[in-house]
Amino acid sequence: MPELLVQYETEIWTSIGETFVMVGVSILAAILIGLPVGTFLFLCRKGQVLENQFVFSILNLLVNIIRSFPFLLLVVFLIPFTRLVLGTAIGTAAATVPLSIIAIAHYSRLVEQSLLEVPKGVIEAAISMGASIQDIIFKFLYVEARSGFVLGLTTSIISFISYSTIMGVVGGGGIGDFAIRYGYQQFKTELMIYMIIIMVILVQLIQFFGTTVSRMIDKR
Amino acid sequence: MIKLHNVSKSFSQFQAIKSVFLTIDQGEIHGIIGASGAGKSTLLRHMNLLEIPDEGEVEVNGQKLTSLSSKELRQARKSIGMIFQHFNLVANKTVYENVAVSLEITNFPKKERKNRVLECLQFVGLESSLEKYPAQLSGGQKQRVGIARALANKPQVLLCDEPTSSLDPNTTAEILGVLENINKSLGVTIVIVSHEMEVIKSICNRVTVMEAGEIYDTVLIEPTSIQIIDNSPRYYVEQLTKGGGMDDA
Ligand SMILES: Nc1ncnc2c1ncn2[C@@H]1O[C@H](COP(=O)(O)OP(=O)(O)OP(=O)(O)O)[C@@H](O)[C@H]1O
Ligand SMILES: [Mg+2]
Repeated sequence: MPELLVQYETEIWTSIGETFVMVGVSILAAILIGLPVGTFLFLCRKGQVLENQFVFSILNLLVNIIRSFPFLLLVVFLIPFTRLVLGTAIGTAAATVPLSIIAIAHYSRLVEQSLLEVPKGVIEAAISMGASIQDIIFKFLYVEARSGFVLGLTTSIISFISYSTIMGVVGGGGIGDFAIRYGYQQFKTELMIYMIIIMVILVQLIQFFGTTVSRMIDKR
Repeated sequence: MIKLHNVSKSFSQFQAIKSVFLTIDQGEIHGIIGASGAGKSTLLRHMNLLEIPDEGEVEVNGQKLTSLSSKELRQARKSIGMIFQHFNLVANKTVYENVAVSLEITNFPKKERKNRVLECLQFVGLESSLEKYPAQLSGGQKQRVGIARALANKPQVLLCDEPTSSLDPNTTAEILGVLENINKSLGVTIVIVSHEMEVIKSICNRVTVMEAGEIYDTVLIEPTSIQIIDNSPRYYVEQLTKGGGMDDA
């Protein structure tokens, strides 16, 4: 193993751990909140079963606003909110707050898009059978859109990893922060390259896994 | 029995259905025919309230659908099956699951579900394809799944929107045979929307002709029975090359 990696082993593992925490929390937020928000975005659209112009416009606007913020500015902008929620705006835990918020906005949009690809006729068939809203969501929409959900989540996770690299600004740490502090600022270019290689491998693995799973569950 | 009383429906400015009165009797096979855009599908979709009329009343199986709560309406829809031109199956569910889901929705007793699904698939002749996905089926087989799914809850009425319009002539005849059998052996009232005169003539007892959102006429007919058309390649070639009279002297 290259000498530099051995020398910084502890720090590297710590930074990988921080990245996993930040990305892990983002994934949870995406699934637990982004999925329902995306579902509502879809269901409240014109012509859908919960058509509601008001709710749709509000959700749509919120998602758009969050997504149009340059991420670095969103992080800074959310500092007071993070402090309110966690008591501090510094550290890995604090970094998960803006990350989760962008994760929710990002994934809900992809969920909405996947649901829009479900043929309208399938929903009509469900209604004609006497399906409730719950049935329509869980027995029809999610079944038909599931491979899109997985692909969307894969894309999202890769974006979350990218977003997480700038969390050094609020002391969030992570692989990206390590690469900048040691590799870039201390002119250890070699170290920076190793970090980039780790990121590339990580992204490749995630993409491979996501594509495989989505293909396996797609019977269309 | 299905009763439409003074039903009107507009989409934004456009009036698709104009105060329609129509009664379809128990046990009938009723056709709805007319040009594209005449409002056939829209009228049919009023019979399970997929379209909600702006005006007028819809009564099916003795229940006034237009005055039910949404929960009661879902209950009423169990007795009104529907099949579609493009089948509308759940692509990620197997044949078995596609039929089973309609029983899950209606809380059909769990223990009897499996039997009921198999019974319905047997009725349409698909008992050997339980584990297949729709993508692995032909159009005719997909429509059979659609029919099995619609039958699962023992409906009294079956609404069919262009059920054979994406099928070849032979498969069309087979599917019409299944529908006729459902009517004869189960006593299910059937409404068929089609723009194919042959389909309508072969199995309907009564036909409503629509024009521009209105009923032009409702006529009684004698079904000609289903013609099983030869769809061997030889037949196609024969039909295509049969002299058009051009070189008749
Ligand atoms: N959801 C809708 N929104 C707007 N216009 C609609 C809608 N559904 C139907 N229409 C219009 O109502 C008219 C009747 O449509 P409908 O689908 O009932 O015709 P159809 O007789 O079934 O025709 P086809 O043979 O082409 O299926 C058409 O002009 C159509 O454009
Ligand atoms: Mg139509």
